[in-house]
Amino acid sequence: MSFKYPVVMPKMSMTMETGELINFHVKVGDHVKAGDVLFEVMTDKIDMEVDAPADGVIETLVAEPGAVIEIGKPVLIMLTETQVMAFDFGGESEEPALAAPVAQVVAEIAAPVPPTPAPILNESVKAVPKARVEATKRGIDLRAIAATGPDNTITMHDLNNAQVDPAVAKRQKANRALIAKGIELTRAIPQASFSRSTSANFDKPSLIAAWATVLRARPDLAIHSHIGVAVIIESKYGSALPVFKDPDQLALGELKTLVETTSQAAKNGKVPLAMLTGATTTIFDVTAYSMNSSTPLLFPNQVTSLTIGHAGTSEKNISLTIDLNFCDFYDGAMLLDALVASLTKL
Amino acid sequence: MLTMAEAIREAMSIAFDERPEVFLLGEDVGIYGGAFGVSGDMYHRYGSERVLDTPIAELGIVGAAVGAALSGMRPIVEIQFSDFTAQAMDQIANQAAKIHFMLGGALHVPMVLRTPQGSGTGAAAQHSQNLEPWFASVPGLKVVVPSNPADAKGLLLSSIDDPNPVIFLEHKLLYKIPGRDPVPEGAIRIPLGVSKVVREGKDLTIVATGIMVNKAWEVCEKLAADGISITLIDPRTISPLDMQPVFESVDKTGRLLVVQEGPAHAGFINEVIAQMAGSVSFGSLIAPIKRLAGMNIPIPYAPQLEKAAVPQIEDIEAAAREIVSLWR
Amino acid sequence: MSAQSLLMGHPLSSPAHARHALLYMWRIRKFEEAVEDLFGRGMMHGTMHLSIGQEASPTGMCMALTLHDQITSTHRGHGHCIAKGADLTRMIAELLGKEIGYCGGRGGSMHIADVETGNLGANGVVGGGIPIAAGAALASKMMKKGTVSVSFFGDGAMNEGAFHEAANLAAIWKLPMILFCENNKYGMSSSTEKAFAIDNLADRAKGYGIPAVNVNGNDVVDVYEQAEIAVKRAKAGEGPTLIVAETYRWKGHSRSDKNLYRTKEEIEEWRALDPIPQFTSKIIKAKLLTEAECDSISQEATDAIIAAVNESVKAKPADPAGLLDAVFKAVSA
Repeated sequence: MSFKYPVVMPKMSMTMETGELINFHVKVGDHVKAGDVLFEVMTDKIDMEVDAPADGVIETLVAEPGAVIEIGKPVLIMLTETQVMAFDFGGESEEPALAAPVAQVVAEIAAPVPPTPAPILNESVKAVPKARVEATKRGIDLRAIAATGPDNTITMHDLNNAQVDPAVAKRQKANRALIAKGIELTRAIPQASFSRSTSANFDKPSLIAAWATVLRARPDLAIHSHIGVAVIIESKYGSALPVFKDPDQLALGELKTLVETTSQAAKNGKVPLAMLTGATTTIFDVTAYSMNSSTPLLFPNQVTSLTIGHAGTSEKNISLTIDLNFCDFYDGAMLLDALVASLTKL
Repeated sequence: MLTMAEAIREAMSIAFDERPEVFLLGEDVGIYGGAFGVSGDMYHRYGSERVLDTPIAELGIVGAAVGAALSGMRPIVEIQFSDFTAQAMDQIANQAAKIHFMLGGALHVPMVLRTPQGSGTGAAAQHSQNLEPWFASVPGLKVVVPSNPADAKGLLLSSIDDPNPVIFLEHKLLYKIPGRDPVPEGAIRIPLGVSKVVREGKDLTIVATGIMVNKAWEVCEKLAADGISITLIDPRTISPLDMQPVFESVDKTGRLLVVQEGPAHAGFINEVIAQMAGSVSFGSLIAPIKRLAGMNIPIPYAPQLEKAAVPQIEDIEAAAREIVSLWR
Repeated sequence: MSAQSLLMGHPLSSPAHARHALLYMWRIRKFEEAVEDLFGRGMMHGTMHLSIGQEASPTGMCMALTLHDQITSTHRGHGHCIAKGADLTRMIAELLGKEIGYCGGRGGSMHIADVETGNLGANGVVGGGIPIAAGAALASKMMKKGTVSVSFFGDGAMNEGAFHEAANLAAIWKLPMILFCENNKYGMSSSTEKAFAIDNLADRAKGYGIPAVNVNGNDVVDVYEQAEIAVKRAKAGEGPTLIVAETYRWKGHSRSDKNLYRTKEEIEEWRALDPIPQFTSKIIKAKLLTEAECDSISQEATDAIIAAVNESVKAKPADPAGLLDAVFKAVSA
């Protein structure tokens, strides 16, 4: 008997993982022929007799009747004369580890992507898909729109002709009045304007920080001891002017975050009260409206204001307006130069 | 101008001349000239070696086509009514469609199965079905639905060229009529998997298949007179489906109407809607997507019942007008 | 181990032929036993349909065929594939879901094909391969290849519509084909006694106007002799022949089969008619090979299977990455 062969718990169905040994039909020392029943096994679906694969002698009974055994694990060992086709790869199932199947995305389809994160509460309102997209883009609350489409659905027509919420309209009106008054007051201030174009690349926080730094270097041109940079931001209710206090003293990263959160708040008409006072200079960025320049607004009690516009394909136009009571021509030019130099270095 | 049957016959003849391994088999395709006259005089021109009359044995003849395709021939098998593809479904769906994949690419099945489908001839329920969803839902089959003679010719030549099994569904009512456009001469080929923008407009996008393309065309003409301009798209190939022109058009028009003759439930046209609903172009819609399709009933016999079972020109017109007026 | 070159001719016509026939029957036997073992250990997915006990039929039939003659096979097709010259490693690798498997792991046991040896594929649908074989024969006739196609199928398939339609087409068109029925007396659990109203399955051929012959499916010599006659007929343009080979499968229909439908006595009776020792004693009696040589042939088969298994187990599993591209053959520009 030259071969030792373990007779294992066989896999009898596609889903079977273990089987129960019912009983042995042989004992140690028995001689068996190929095809003789060795033992019976059971799963919840099937009972089966397991036969000897070849002539031989029973050497060891490995398991006990009643035991639950994993498929592929030995139940008894027999010695055989002929070589049995048996493959024991460490007793472990060679289930190959496959990468998880990747869900295939068809090329033309993409998940719907809202253009900006949507803080607008537009559930419980029926609107055509494009109206939702547009409302989110424009920051419009769909609950304020009157629906004329079938089944009370807001159509694009409804959105485009929207009557704004009266409370919103009131605030918008108040804002406009504020700006109008500002222009009136501006007229009374003796002022001059300069402008320069620059190909420097800068974002809002960098501009705010650079301008504050330039002003900080000229305390002789200041009315106040602090620096407060007001930035005009479009909000739900019209223009808002949040003030960033001493922005040159913040780390640029911090300032960036502050600008971002303030802009978001402004869009929703929620700038904190503390940020609405203390401006010593104002920045108007009209590139957002694709403009090159605009009428400068110089508020009383502020020595300077900046207007940023387009000047060509990759150039910006920076225009500085100064209150001649506190700053003369030459100093004004120096300030603008210093700012442009600083922005170019960014 | 050539009719659809003549255009298909011309395509088969061109294929026969180009490649000696192309042959036609089916019931009554030989001496009789085809139940709908499509093969016509091909038996006399090419002989019984290449135009084989078969007994009534759809499973056997489609299976023989599969075996012949595996062995170097390019069979065109004609099944007399699309309804009878049911008899042959094992060979179509379990064999032809799957062989290339199951066998790891070792073999492929360059076979075209042509069959007439559709209602309107009073042939009743078992001879009038639109079965493109059966085939479109089986991976491994290409499915083509021509709407006019010129397209039929060009698409059939490409189908014969294709190394994969192609199900070519011809509408019975279109066989005997010419199309709007003349059929170009010679071996023209239209690639599979490319949708056609039949006309362009800005107010509404209509996607239609088969005979509905022609009905939709009539509607487009009528509404143009009232200042409503419509983009009409004919996918031509059901599977694989080219949705790109549909997305581009809906981005412009914002309104989508889909039209098919087959029953609405689980029909092919729902694939167009599903893909639109999951795409970025969904955000361009200013109206809900409207679907016109056959009633979920077997096709009835009496002519007024048969008509009522599927969309007619009036239905398409009403739907188009309604979408444009209700959703501004 | 690469595909063996096939030897054609009568199994008792020379020592080389005897060796070939015996080797191939042992290769099939050992292969099926190895599959049974691997499956029983949970290493193979799905289920397996084993043909242990039926080795003489495919071996005898394929010795009458060239490499270019074509076959279609069944869900119980390992024997047909091996007899026609399939590569053992690629077969095991397919069953183990490996990339080098015949189908790249995508087909499994029931869909193995080998173009180079004329094997148009095993088939998971009963009767699925019969019309396909008829089509292959039709192509052979149209292309004047001079080859024949053999459709292997079981007794169960003779009741499928596909058999009827394909047999009729082959008859009316005189296709160069052989309808080879391995009558192992059971279509899954239905015995032929219950599934047929006739006693002799070969009688069905009369209905199609084609000749039929009964052979002892466990006698490789008998199978070969009738196969050779049928091949000659087919190549002479005389049309198809139905060969009904009486044989028996020792194991259940598949690995989930509890053998409730047959008796142990019946199984034992047939084990005694094992085709391999039958043929071995014929060879020795005819003094073509010695007993020792026969033993070494068995060992050679065993070694070949073991080598194939060891090689396959180490191979790379099939990767889902290529699945979408595998459905269609690419259209050339």
